[in-house]
Amino acid sequence: MSSIPFENSGFEVRQNLIDAHTEAWSRIASPGTWLTGERRLAVAAEIRQALKCDFCAEIKDALSPNAVSGTHTATGNLSDAEVELIHRVVSDPGRLSQPWSQEVLAGGLSEGEYVEIVGLIASVMIMDTCTMALDAVDTDLPDAEAGEPTRYLPPGAKVQAAWLPIVEPEDVVEADGPVYPSPKAGYIYRGLSMVPESMRNYWAMANEHYLPGEVIYQFDKSIRALERPQMELMAARVSALHQCAY
Amino acid sequence: MLRESTQIADNEVNLKDVTAGLSDGTQIPNAEVLVNFAEAIVSRDSTRIAEARQVVADTLGNDATVDAAAVVSAFHGFVRIADSIGIPYTTAVLGQDAPEIREEAGINDFYRIQETG
Repeated sequence: MSSIPFENSGFEVRQNLIDAHTEAWSRIASPGTWLTGERRLAVAAEIRQALKCDFCAEIKDALSPNAVSGTHTATGNLSDAEVELIHRVVSDPGRLSQPWSQEVLAGGLSEGEYVEIVGLIASVMIMDTCTMALDAVDTDLPDAEAGEPTRYLPPGAKVQAAWLPIVEPEDVVEADGPVYPSPKAGYIYRGLSMVPESMRNYWAMANEHYLPGEVIYQFDKSIRALERPQMELMAARVSALHQCAY
Repeated sequence: MLRESTQIADNEVNLKDVTAGLSDGTQIPNAEVLVNFAEAIVSRDSTRIAEARQVVADTLGNDATVDAAAVVSAFHGFVRIADSIGIPYTTAVLGQDAPEIREEAGINDFYRIQETG
């Protein structure tokens, strides 16, 4: 492992991508909205563990995710509900269901914790996949920063369109901080809005990998070294291989 | 996004290729090279990734290889948010449902639509 993202890659990685990883890891180590920095790093470690879990591989290979029973090979630092959430979202995201999400919540996680953990999963999966793809080693998990979570719950968060609460653009209040770049932000953007800080942190990092919101719908423009149809073909293929219907 | 961008660029795309794998019906520059890299990354097979990455680097150069890896990685995050928060797939095409695209691309066969509606 290395403390500097992409340090050992044989490729010249653009600086904004390196900076995005560096800043994201720093934020992961800091207290969040519902989780301490220490617990957020335990989630990051569990995400990496899930990729080596034999039970996850069994579930992934089964015709139905409910057809096998067993126990996840976990780090031992998180609750059963946290482990189930992390391992299933990492290893077999396309076969999750609303009843499954309700079972995870009933196992002792609050909706805020669930959403914050999903934001961490998405962030770590992006960064670790990118370093792997460019032949670099995993970035070291940083030391946790002390402090308490803010426990901020947006007053406009409600279950309506999705399984978990979302803050619709018209329900954003000033105390939420900046949430949407546009009231027309798609549902993929709204997914983490119940935890605005997680949402901001996630998109700050993710946008450097794909595209920032202001150019996403400008299909004749590319700010990357690939043409837009090339990017979208890869994106669509990756989504399909994950069985993502969105 | 794929359909919109290919129409503007005057490229051809067979939407079924998204689920079934690349065919001659998709005419996007270096599509095979890039899709092979994307599929290798999803497999997390280091040998396969190294081989596919080398072809991308030889064909398109350093910056395109970095950006290809970054885009593919980004969608390892997006799909996990969509599928664990349960956001409505009926808003996937610029905020609208497009059942004809889901059907044409083979997306209606996916677990979430088949099992949970």
